[in-house]
Amino acid sequence: MSVILSLKNIEVTYSEVILVVKGVTLEVQEGSIVTLLGANGAGKTTILKAISGLLVSELGKVTEGSIEFRGIPIQRESPENIVKMGIVHVMEGRPSFDQLTVEENLIVGASSRTNRPTEIKKDLERIYSYFPKLKALRKKISGYISGGEKQMLVVGRGLMAHPKMMLLDEPSLGLAPLIVKEIFEIIEFVNKEAGTSILLVEQNALAALSISSYGYIMENGRIVMDGVAANLKDNEDIREFYLGLSKVGKRKSYRHVKHYRRRKRWLG
Amino acid sequence: MTYFLQYLLIGFLTGGLYSAFAVTVVLVYKATHVASLAHGQILAFGAVFFYWCIAVLQLPISVSFLVALALAGVLGFIIERLTMRPLIGEPLFTSFLMTFAVFMFLDGVFNLYVAGETRFIPPFLPQGNMGIGKLIIAEQRASNFVMTLLPALIVIGFFKYSKVGLRMRATAENHRLAQSAGIRVKNIFSIIWIFSSILAAVAGIGCATIMNIHYPLPYNGLKGLLVALVGGLDSIGGAILAGLLVGVIESLAAGYVDPLTEVGGTSEVVAYVLLLFILLVKPYGLFGLARIERI
Ligand SMILES: Nc1ncnc2c1ncn2[C@@H]1O[C@H](COP(=O)(O)OP(=O)(O)OP(=O)(O)O)[C@@H](O)[C@H]1O
Ligand SMILES: [Mg+2]
Repeated sequence: MSVILSLKNIEVTYSEVILVVKGVTLEVQEGSIVTLLGANGAGKTTILKAISGLLVSELGKVTEGSIEFRGIPIQRESPENIVKMGIVHVMEGRPSFDQLTVEENLIVGASSRTNRPTEIKKDLERIYSYFPKLKALRKKISGYISGGEKQMLVVGRGLMAHPKMMLLDEPSLGLAPLIVKEIFEIIEFVNKEAGTSILLVEQNALAALSISSYGYIMENGRIVMDGVAANLKDNEDIREFYLGLSKVGKRKSYRHVKHYRRRKRWLG
Repeated sequence: MTYFLQYLLIGFLTGGLYSAFAVTVVLVYKATHVASLAHGQILAFGAVFFYWCIAVLQLPISVSFLVALALAGVLGFIIERLTMRPLIGEPLFTSFLMTFAVFMFLDGVFNLYVAGETRFIPPFLPQGNMGIGKLIIAEQRASNFVMTLLPALIVIGFFKYSKVGLRMRATAENHRLAQSAGIRVKNIFSIIWIFSSILAAVAGIGCATIMNIHYPLPYNGLKGLLVALVGGLDSIGGAILAGLLVGVIESLAAGYVDPLTEVGGTSEVVAYVLLLFILLVKPYGLFGLARIERI
């Protein structure tokens, strides 16, 4: 297996002074699903934006280190070129083009690739087979669809670009467990069927780790732990901090957990 | 009654010109979020190019028309490249001020060229009159109406039904999201400036066939921005309706109020009064989307 995406020691600064990501090294193997976990404000979204080039419009900058996609440095490329190279970033908060219809949103997703009506039609059918709900909604203005439908839409729109790699930022946020399951199943399916590599950022650690092969844990702009997903799932610290389970399987409050300050061990 | 209808009709036909100006401004605003003053000058230069092809190069009218549009498109492209593109990412107000600077610069060039004289566009549209019942329509006005508004409608249709148009609408909604979907937003800006400049040139030629080319021509172009404000800066339909509305109100003022005053000219003021009033009541114009951008 080869490495499709590799971040080496990257540092990200906003507005030239706010250092948010501090020396992060991370790898995604071709065809795998990798999860990036971490508390709010840890810098997960920032890392995804650094990869997809969307930092620039927020006055953010990769000030150190390198980001390579299939061996090619990409941190100076424009977001459009990065999409063209095969990386699609499905953003946090599932933003859609609210005034366009569901189908128009999907078609826009193919902008980097093709204009041919026949190809677009074929792709639309593929997306509709993944998400039959979208087919029923296709003439609807996307501003009015539900959160779950919108998440399907933005994932579908990303897939329209035929990405080699997808960056997914908190797809499960605020969704009912059933919808989360459906979306995660599709993510897994796309990964298996098309071989699309996936870097997944999640709060829902359990769901994320169960479809991933590898995981990274981030805190305050640093990777504090990484390992094979199955191991992470069994790791005591993770169980406590992210899954909210103690050794005996009882729920503990996050505040209580913090009291122990066991996370110090990750830094040491 | 005939008197009223006559002025209504004249206003409607003049309003078509305003609509066409306003559409250019709205197109640029929708896509780039910049209200462009520069288009007032592009409009005037469209007319100058047209005149220049006819009078200096002695080209046939139809060829001159097309060449003028092409030159205006190039002018728009150059303005975008030189003055707008470097400001992407800077506050939008900076870009707005830049269009003002471009307006003033081109105004200087325009006045150097015109040099206080009037250049007459040779009549090329039908010159007769036709009657509908008791109403009289100058054929020149009617054909002018079609000539300026039709291209605007074609461009609007293009944006509504083509793939490029879809990308443009996506860009108009959210630049960053459009980029993340792989749309080359800067190219969209170029396309918009080219198309809107071509439309501005058509409007300019339409305008110049009525008032010829002399110093106030660019300021007539500025009226497009005004009309666009009345309609709501981001609504194409609003721009067209507002253009017709402003035209009709001006014309009715000319027909009913001007005779009562000694100097006349109230029609010139009416549009501005209307604008003030509408903006007080509806800050986003008649058909603009209300967005909360300030407290
Ligand atoms: N444009 C910006 N300018 C300045 N600081 C920013 C900017 N964007 C994010 N930050 C800061 O960077 C830090 C990391 O933000 P980021 O969005 O990457 O966190 P996250 O891990 O995705 O959090 P969450 O789980 O809440 O989405 C935060 O402290 C945030 O306040
Ligand atoms: Mg985030």
